Parts: sequence; C-alpha cells; structure tokens
Amino acid sequence: MVRYGGWSGKVLRVDLSSGRIWTEDTIEKYRDFLGGTGIGYKVLWDEVPAGTKPFDPGNKIIFGVGPLAGTGAPCNGRTAITTLWPTCSPMPLVATGHMGGHFAAALKYAGYDAIVIEGKADRPVWLSIVDQKVEIKDARRLWGQGIRRTTIDISQEIGAEASVAAIGQAGENLVPMSVVINSFSHSAGGVGAVMGSKNLKAIGVLGTGSVHIAADKSEWEKLIKLHLSLLGANNQHVVPNSPQPWAEYYSPGSRWVASKGRRWGAADPPLETGTCDPHEVNRIAYRTNNAAYFLGKEIWKYTIRGNGCTSCPIRCHTMLKVPAAKAKYGFSEVGQNTCVGLLFGRSFFKTIPDGPQGQTALEACMVGMHLADDLGIWCNYGQLQRDLIKLYYDGYIKQKLGEKEFKSYSWDKYEKGDPTFLMELLPRIANKDGELATALGLGTGYMLARWGISEEEWKKDYNAVYWKMGHPKHHSNEDAGQCGVIINTQYNRDAQCHSHSNFTRNGLPLEVQKRLAAEIWGSPDAVDAVGAYTPMNRYKARMAKWSLLRKELHDSLSLCNWMGPWVASPLKERGYRGDDSLESLLYSLATGDRKSREELDQVAERIFLLHRALTIRDMGTVEMRTKHDTIPAWVFYDPAGKAPFSKGTNRMDPKDMETAMDMFYEEMEWDPKTGAPTESAYRKVGLAAVADELKKKGGLP
Amino acid sequence: MGSKSDIVPLGGERRRLKMDHKDESLAQVKEALKAAGLGQSLSRRQFLKVSGVTVAGMSALGFLLSKGEAKTPLVIMDQAQGLVVADPTRCVGCRRCELACTEFNDGKASPTLSRIKVSRNLNFGPKGVYGGQRGHGNWGDGLIVQDLCKQCPHPVPCANACPNDAIVVKPPLNARMVDLEKCIGCKMCQRACPWEMMSFDAETNKATKCFLCNGKPKCVEACPAEALAFVPWRDVTDKIPPRVVPTAIVSPEKAASCNECHKR
Repeated sequence: MVRYGGWSGKVLRVDLSSGRIWTEDTIEKYRDFLGGTGIGYKVLWDEVPAGTKPFDPGNKIIFGVGPLAGTGAPCNGRTAITTLWPTCSPMPLVATGHMGGHFAAALKYAGYDAIVIEGKADRPVWLSIVDQKVEIKDARRLWGQGIRRTTIDISQEIGAEASVAAIGQAGENLVPMSVVINSFSHSAGGVGAVMGSKNLKAIGVLGTGSVHIAADKSEWEKLIKLHLSLLGANNQHVVPNSPQPWAEYYSPGSRWVASKGRRWGAADPPLETGTCDPHEVNRIAYRTNNAAYFLGKEIWKYTIRGNGCTSCPIRCHTMLKVPAAKAKYGFSEVGQNTCVGLLFGRSFFKTIPDGPQGQTALEACMVGMHLADDLGIWCNYGQLQRDLIKLYYDGYIKQKLGEKEFKSYSWDKYEKGDPTFLMELLPRIANKDGELATALGLGTGYMLARWGISEEEWKKDYNAVYWKMGHPKHHSNEDAGQCGVIINTQYNRDAQCHSHSNFTRNGLPLEVQKRLAAEIWGSPDAVDAVGAYTPMNRYKARMAKWSLLRKELHDSLSLCNWMGPWVASPLKERGYRGDDSLESLLYSLATGDRKSREELDQVAERIFLLHRALTIRDMGTVEMRTKHDTIPAWVFYDPAGKAPFSKGTNRMDPKDMETAMDMFYEEMEWDPKTGAPTESAYRKVGLAAVADELKKKGGLP
Repeated sequence: MGSKSDIVPLGGERRRLKMDHKDESLAQVKEALKAAGLGQSLSRRQFLKVSGVTVAGMSALGFLLSKGEAKTPLVIMDQAQGLVVADPTRCVGCRRCELACTEFNDGKASPTLSRIKVSRNLNFGPKGVYGGQRGHGNWGDGLIVQDLCKQCPHPVPCANACPNDAIVVKPPLNARMVDLEKCIGCKMCQRACPWEMMSFDAETNKATKCFLCNGKPKCVEACPAEALAFVPWRDVTDKIPPRVVPTAIVSPEKAASCNECHKR
C-alpha cells in the first residue's frame, strides 16, 4: 500500500455507551473525502439515520481535521466539528462548527485525523488522548465547572502542552446555544450541548508524534515560502488600511491595520507595528489587530500582542490587557478573541456610554468574552444579541415574561449599557434559569416557536439580519451581491463561507478586482463594487460555486476559510495575483497524492454534494428551492427606499434573484425546478451509491 | 576512535581531542600542535584556551591522537560561532519556528522533535500549569518564552554526558550536533541539559539538537514577528535559569580527562 504523508492514518472511534474505543484506517475509508467536514458528512451519511435527534445517543459528533493540519502550511489550525445541529429549525439537520487554536495540530501529532464520538456515557466523563493511549475518564469533579477551570484541571493531569476542548455549564445543561472551546478563546458554536447530551465534558489531547510530508523537503519549503509571500492580513485583505510608503493602494475597510506609530502598547516594552512591507515576511504577524479594527484606535494601548492558531502568521485573536476588567468587574485583565467573539458582550446593548468604540464598550467586550468563553455560550454569529435587542425594544420580553421574572433583571442597566447586566444575563442562559434565558438559549428558530412569534417577523427585519432555519446571514448581499445571497441559501446554519467576501473586501480597486476576476471566473462581470450591484450573470454563479467548493475544501483539508482562498495577493509585481492552485499544491506535496486544481475541486464538490444529500435525506424532500434555499424579505428592502442596483444599496431584486438561483443550479448541473442535484450530478463526483440510496427514498428530482 | 587510516578528514564527527591521564598522550598532543606550527610548549591550561580555529587545525593530526588508547573520550573545547536568541515579548505563539525546524530539516512536522521549543511554554509558561491564569503563556499574561540551545561553551553538558561521543562540533560554526551514526538513543544527553533542549525522535530512536542549520537557521527565517535572531555566539549559560536539575552522569573516562586538564 502507498504510504501517504499529511494524514496521520487513523480515525479514532469512541462509543461512550459501551466504553468501546477503536480505530479505523483513514486512507482506506475516508481518503476520497479528505478529512474535516468530508469525514463528518460521510459518517453521518453512513451511520446516522434520518430522524435522529441531536441529543439522541445515536447522533454522532465528529471532530475532523485534514491532511494539512499540524503541518507548516499557513493557516491550518481549524478543527471541523460535524453533527446534527440543535439550533437548526424546524428540524435538526447536518451542520458544522469550526474552531481554531491548537487542537487540530495536537490531534494529528497524537496520531488521528478525526474523532467520531457516539453513544452516551452513564455519568460525566472526559476523553483523554495521549498518543496511542485513549481513555474515558471520570469527569464528575469537573461537571459544573467552567471551561477554564476544566482546561486547567485536565492540563494538570495530562500535561501543560495538552490541547483541551471543553464545554461549560451551557453545554452540560443542554442549552442548544452552546460551544466547545479550546486554547482559551477558540470556539465552535452549536455543539456544546451535543457533547453535554453524551455526558462528555471535554477532550484532552497530548500528541508527541509527527505529520510526514511526502514531497522532498526542499520542494515543500519552496511552496510554503510562496504561500507566505501571497498572504495579506486577516480575511486576506491585501492592502493596508492607511497610506503606507510601499503601498500603491489603501482601503479604510482593510484589516491590515499596522502602521508606523501604531504600537502594541501593552507589550512590555511597547512594540511598534511599523509599515509592514509585504515582502517583510518576518513581520506578517504585525499586520493584523482585529481588536483595533473593530474597537478603534484606543485599543492599541491595551494590545499585548496578536495570538491565534497553530502555524498561522496572521494573528487574528488579539490579546488585550484591560485593567478595568479586573478593577471594576473582577475578571482577569487579560483577554483575547476575534470578530464576533471579541464583540460578544458589547453587541447585547443597543446603546452604550461613549459609543461603540468607547471605554464602556471595551469593558463590555471583556466581560462578555470572559463569561461566554467560560460558561460556553454561543452567539450564533451575533444573532443572540440581535434577538435580545429586538425582543426587548419591540416589547416581547415584557409581554412574554411574568412580572416577577421581568423585574428580576436590571433593565435600567441594560438600557444604559452597563456591562454588569451581562453578569446577570449570561449565567442564567447557561443555567436555563427562567423563561427568558431558556428561550434565548434555544436559538432563534425554536425561541420564536416557543413564544409564538412568526419567523416572518424576523425575516423582514433589516437590522436583525436573520436568514432562515434559526440562523443569520454570514457575508451575503452586503459583501458580494447575488453571489453572497446564493451562498447564504445553501447551509443549515449561517453559511460561514468567506471565499467570496475575502475577495470582494480585499481592498484592491474595482478595476484590479475585475482583472483578476476575469482570470479566475471568466469575466470581469463576476464582481461588482460593494453596494453598487448589477443584475445577475453566469460568472457570478460560477464565483458562487467556486466559493462554496473552496469552503468545503478548506474545511476538509484544514485550511482556514477565514483566510483563504489566496487568489489575490499584496504583491504589485504579480499584478496583485495570488495563486488559485495553492490548495492543490499543498495537498499534493503533503500527501503525495498528486491532484490538479480541477481534480481537487471535484473532491470538494463531492463533499459539498454529500452535505446536500444529507440535507435532502433528512428533510425528506427534494423541494430544496422552495423549502430550503430561501431568501429572507429584508434582502429585498432598503431602509432609504433605494431601488435595487442603484448606488449605495445592498437591496436585491426578487426576480433577478430567481434568475440567480436558476444560474447557480445550472452551474452546479442540478435540477433548476427543485434545486436538488440530479442523479448524474452525484455520479459525476463519485457518489453513485448516494444517488442510489436517495432514489429509493424519492430524494432525486 | 581507532582509525586505521592515515588520512583523517577535517572536522566533523571524527574530530576529537584526547585528554586522558597518560602523560605520553599529552606529549603527543603537544607534538601535534608543534607540527602544525601552533604550539610551542603549551601547558594543559593554555591548551584549554586554544581557539576553535586552532583546534580545527588539529584535526588533521587526528591520526596522531588515535595512536593512543582505544577509548579516547571526546571533550569539546571549541567555542561555537553563532547562536539563536529570542525575544519573548515579540513571540505570537504560532509555532512556525518549530514547524520550519522539523519540516525543512526532517521532512516532517513535529514540535516534539523541534530544536527550538515553544509549545511547552505556550499555554502556561515555563513554570507549567500550576501558574494557572497568573503565569505566562496564552493562559497567563501572554508572554511566550522560546527555549533555545545555548551552544554551551566547554564543558558542554549534553556532549559530556554522551557515552558514545555522539555529540560533536561542526565547523565552521562549531554548532554542537548529534552524529546520528553514533547516537544509540540512550537519552543520557536529555538528562544532562539544564534547559531540556535535547529532542528525541521516537521514529528513528535518535537524539537531535540545534545545529544552527549550518548557518541559516530555519526558525529565524520562519518567524513572522521578528522574535528570533541569529547572532555571534556569546555565553548565555549563566543568564538563563535552568529548567531542570541535570541528572546525567559523566563517564569515568571523561571525568578523568577533566581531572587531567584542570588539576593544579
């Protein structure tokens, strides 16, 4: 048998009901699905029948990584977690959560490409993985503890270098809006309660082995250096956000925030980020400061440094030292997170003293992230916070709660934007304490159903940005017009796809983007200026397909789709081109299984279609176009009444979006009437058996 | 060494100094130095101060040294010429240094095998998990301490502890490195390093350590935060607190050489 690099070669299987632990051969069983979400979908398809509920012992939860995890390929730190999704409404369907940190690498060094967990332990347990030694251990002393205490306890037992993925009280209490967290701040949403339902408190991994690179080491080194040279800042923004001596362009929306005079002020001594010429590969880590990007220039003085995942030079988790967090609220003064995790606390408040980038906002962020990342609460990409604002200010809360419970919250503090309100609310969500906390913890879909509120109410609210099935938009029309909308119709939670927005928001002028778009998707018309959209064309559909396939490819290889693909670069001498073949080059050299870009994209399509097949099978209908791929009303609305395709609006046109979906289905070679993949579409990507099974169930158009 | 050849290659693993207790051995050394036009009448102590360049010159005369006893313990005298130093306040904890060290040298990614060590301090700092959230590392104040080989001056603890003289100097940088052919995987060197800088490859059953990548350290090249630098060697062994109390034993033969050179 061929010996491959990249993969560790084993998938770890654990049945918590029987206590049985065994392994499977990765190559034999899962090579055609790469890893990550690919393995996750495959296990659910093969082993978890339709009708299984998320908290049933029969549901399985798969922690999958890919052949690139643990290698020196940049941005490979993410673990994909696949399971039946407890916040997906009205019925649970397959979805995935993704955490960064150091867990993915640890798993590979321990010798595993994935962990598949099934069953339910008869008492609280945690899974100890120390290389080949895998044990189910008693977690009764950890049950009821926060994620941080749990991590420290387990690290004391198996070693300070261990990576521990743990749930908090929210997951234990089967709150659907719960996370699993590793490496202090790296969370995957929605799966905490699935672990909780299995009485699984944590997975601790200590790996001391290696990931082998199949290719000649100098060839690998050359490729890694090429990849590094093409990196931008976070989200692959390739121009700086302020004028720099080396830069032809800049864009205020860029996450490339380094500049002379901007310093990591809480480093001891403070550290200048400097001009960060893209050729200075030894200064890539200074480009990004997401706390400063989201919370404004005052943040620089609180910045200790950037932090992030294994092997990633882009440090998107900013580490902050905010003395007020301790002095005023009693939390650690050091905290770290990125994006919505960073803004978790602030986002609950409609108004906050001294504005969204002021001192109180920062304190709310610190309080929020410390509580959420210890209790293990999920924000559903900010929907939890938007829901609370809407429920409160539209009067639902007063209406739905008894007077006693209503008065048990300090709503005056809430209205004033006092961060201590979070100390009332968040522990109650984690503990299902009262009606409001319980409802919020269900996720939007089931919360609305419980309170008898029409989902259409939410779907028409322009500010709530709710999409469907319990989840919000994630880089939709506001970032890429019709392409973004198409992408947001495809998943059973928020889309979590960045392939398209990483391109449209990369900061390059439209003419450069159009030139690159012509090379990648066949026409400059694939992209528009953000907020100045033109009617649909087939190149946008092609870009949507490419975006979705690359997302699945990244989630299966263990590359970060929050950073890739890398089709644009900061290098003027390359005409700002990146390299559309990086994924296949990395895969080929790491594993030794040489695949061209087209061949690997076909594997990605296989994985994406398996997700589609699972959705169809578990929904019990092929009517995807009308029952699944839906678009909320707010997408077709503009608060200022601007017409679709006029300058300054994200508003889409309903008829044009029908054309867009037609073109997308056509591009996928799916049935346009139902939006379901045809038998030949499955066969083309090697899923004949899946097609056969769907056929028996009426799952083909 | 027991070489039967009249010609001994310059440098590398075959370069060794005989420092046993036999007076005639010392006479041989002196004779050798004289022949090389280097030593007139070196005392033993003066001999210890012979520079790396001088000692390298001696290796051409290894055949003379090899005429002595079959067991001629290696004692490294030459100073290293380079050193990788680190600034913990710049480290961002990405571990790209560890991955570059092992992928580009060994063809596999393995922080355990890496000759620069960051992972072990990443979560809680050098003091480990007992520091909890009050220590260093990602769970503490954010400071990530990178552990690096000091390229120790004589006496070199890892080399002295090796029962097979498998830790040798490699010119021109004189990095202390493991001769894989001689290493039998006994891990005595791991017990000897106060900074726990010896790595062990479980797949090959061999020890390894920082050899400065022959002058172009991969870790330095890989750091995205300019936290590492390759600098002229200086003695940092008395600046950086040890991680452990070494427990290796020095063989009687080597101990005897110490006595031979240092007694007055």
